[in-house]
Amino acid sequence: MIYPQKLNSKKSDILLKLFMLISIVVAILLIVINKLTTPGIPWAALANSGIIYTWIVLFYSIRKNINIAGHVLLQTIAISLLTVFIDYKLNFKGWSINIAIPIIIIIANITMLVLTVVSHKKFLKYAIYQLLIVLFSMLPVILITENVVENKVLSIIASGISAVNLILTLLLCARDVKDAIIRKFHM
Amino acid sequence: MKKDKEEKLYWRRLDNSAKIFPISTGKKYSTVFRLSVVLKEKVNPKVLERAVISALEEYKSFKVRMKAGFFWYYLEYNPKDPIIEKERDYPCQYINPKTNNNYLFKVTYFENKINIDIFHSLTDGNSGTLFFKEIIYNYLELMYPEVFQEERKSRKIEYNTEDSYMKNYDKKAKSNASSKRAYLLRGNKIKLGAVSAIHEIIDLKALKNESKKYEATITQYLTAVLIYSIYEENYKKYNGKKPIKVCIPVNLKKYFPSKTISNFFSYITLIAEMNKEHLDTFEKIIEFVKSDFKKRLTEEEIIKTMSANVKLGNNPFIKLVPLELKKTLVRLSYIEIRKYTTTTYSNIGRIGIIGKYQRYIDYFLMLIAPESVEKIKCSSCTFENKMVFTFTSILNDNKIEKRFYEFLKDKGIHVDIESNGVLDDISSEIK
Repeated sequence: MIYPQKLNSKKSDILLKLFMLISIVVAILLIVINKLTTPGIPWAALANSGIIYTWIVLFYSIRKNINIAGHVLLQTIAISLLTVFIDYKLNFKGWSINIAIPIIIIIANITMLVLTVVSHKKFLKYAIYQLLIVLFSMLPVILITENVVENKVLSIIASGISAVNLILTLLLCARDVKDAIIRKFHM
Repeated sequence: MKKDKEEKLYWRRLDNSAKIFPISTGKKYSTVFRLSVVLKEKVNPKVLERAVISALEEYKSFKVRMKAGFFWYYLEYNPKDPIIEKERDYPCQYINPKTNNNYLFKVTYFENKINIDIFHSLTDGNSGTLFFKEIIYNYLELMYPEVFQEERKSRKIEYNTEDSYMKNYDKKAKSNASSKRAYLLRGNKIKLGAVSAIHEIIDLKALKNESKKYEATITQYLTAVLIYSIYEENYKKYNGKKPIKVCIPVNLKKYFPSKTISNFFSYITLIAEMNKEHLDTFEKIIEFVKSDFKKRLTEEEIIKTMSANVKLGNNPFIKLVPLELKKTLVRLSYIEIRKYTTTTYSNIGRIGIIGKYQRYIDYFLMLIAPESVEKIKCSSCTFENKMVFTFTSILNDNKIEKRFYEFLKDKGIHVDIESNGVLDDISSEIK
C-alpha cells in the first residue's frame, strides 16, 4: 500500500446522499414538533435555516480548501453571538439561550461528527477545533447551573450530543488528538 | 555573519515560464506536480527531515519563499526550515504557504514512500527530479553512513538559476499556437474535492518490444493508447465533435545547452481530429501520433512555441500592468486557454540513480494535478524495468484508466496497479 487509503467515491456519494436525507427528515420532524408543541414560536424555521446554512458552509469550505473545522468553530461562535444580540434587541425573551444556541451547538457537533467519519485521516487538522467546539458546547451546562435557562431540555440534549461526539472522536482518533495537543502546546 | 546577511538579501526573478503560474494558480488550479519514490523499507521521518535540510544546503535555490512585487512575483531567501509531514491529503493539492513555512514544495511520507509536491513556479519536472534525488541520496547516506562513505564525498552538484528562456528564444520566430478548442472530457466529477491517483506499473521490456512492432517510441505508443482509451470510453459515448488535443511537455535541455535549475520546458500539442481523419482504430491512431510527433517535435517548432511565450512575458504593455490587474486578466484568459487541451501527458523518462543506491529503491512515481477543465492528467517515469504510468483524475469513473490497462494486458504486457482508493480498483474488475 503506497497511499493512505481514501474514502471510495461511491461510498462518499452514498454518505453524502444519506446525510442529505437525514437533514431533510430532521427538518420535517422539527417542523412537525414545532407545530404540535409551540406553534406560536417558529423555532423550526431557525433550526432549518441552520441546517441549510451548514450545508452551504460545508460545500464552500471544500471548494475553497478551507479548514472546515476552523470554519465550523468560527461560525458557531459568530452565529451564537448574533442570536443573543438579536434577542437582546427584541427585549430579550430568552429564545437565543433557550433554543437558538443549543440548536447551533447540536448542528456544529453533528457537522464535526460527519467530518470525523468522512475524513478521519485529516483529523489532525481538525482536532484542536473539535476540542474547542466541545468546550463551547459546555456553555448550556453553565447556563443551566447558573439558572439562566428556563427550557432545559434542548440545552441538555446539546451538551449530551457534544459529550457523545467527544467520546466517539477520542475512540476514532485518540492518537491524532494527542499529536495535535503536543504540537500546538509544545514549549 | 556576512554570509547570513547575503542570504537574507538574496532574491531572484521568476523565470519566464514560472511568472505565469502564481498569477494563474488558485486552489482549483494548483499547477503542482509530485515526485514519489517507493523504497524497499519503511521511511524514517526524523532522518528524512535531516535529509531535506541537508539537500537545501546544496540546492539553495529551493530555499526560497515567494513574495509579491508591484509588477511580478519574485523569490527571496527563506530563513525557516521546511515542515515534513505524514501524507494525509490527496496528491498535488494547492500548497498552502502557511502550512509549510512558506516553502514552494512540500515533502511528505507514507509507509515506504517519500513524496515531494512542487509548485511549478519553483522548477519543472526535470530539475525537480535533481533536487528529489539529492534528498533520496542524503536520506540513504544518513540511514547507512558506513555503506555510502565514498559516494558521499564524490557526488558533485552543478547548476545555475539563469532564465534559459531569455537566453535561447528567437525574437523573429512566428507563433505556431493553435487557437482551436479541444474536446473536453465529460462525466460527473468526484465530489468533496477528492482526487484519484491510479498508477499502472508496466513491464518496460515488454512495452519496448510492443512499441517496436509499430516502429514507435514508448512515449508515442503510450500517447496512442491514451487517445484510443479516451476515444473508446468518453469521446464516442458523448458523441465528441472537437479534436482530442494532448499536450506533451518537452524538456528543452535536450535542445539547448543549459544547467539551469529553474523551469526550462516547452510543449507540443497533438491534435487528433477523430472524425475528420477517421481515427477509429488503434492502428490509425498510432500512425497519426507518429506523424504528428514528427511534424511538431522539431527544433524549429519548439523554438516557435517557446519564443511566443517569452515574447508575451516581455511585452512592454504586459510588463507595465500592476500584478493585481495581471492576476485578473490572466485568470480570465486562462478560462479560455485551458479549453484548448483535452489532457496532458508528461513523460520525464528514466530516473538515473547511482549504482549503490539503486538496491534500496523499488520504483518512482510522477503525478500532475488535474483541474476542472483537464479532468484527467497523465504522467510517467521509469526506474530499472518498471515504467509507472499515472492517471490523476477528478472524473468519477475509471473507464479510461481501465481501458488503458486492459489494452496493455491484451497485448501481453504485465501491468500492476496501485491507487489511493478513491475510484474502484481497476485490476480486480478484469474478468
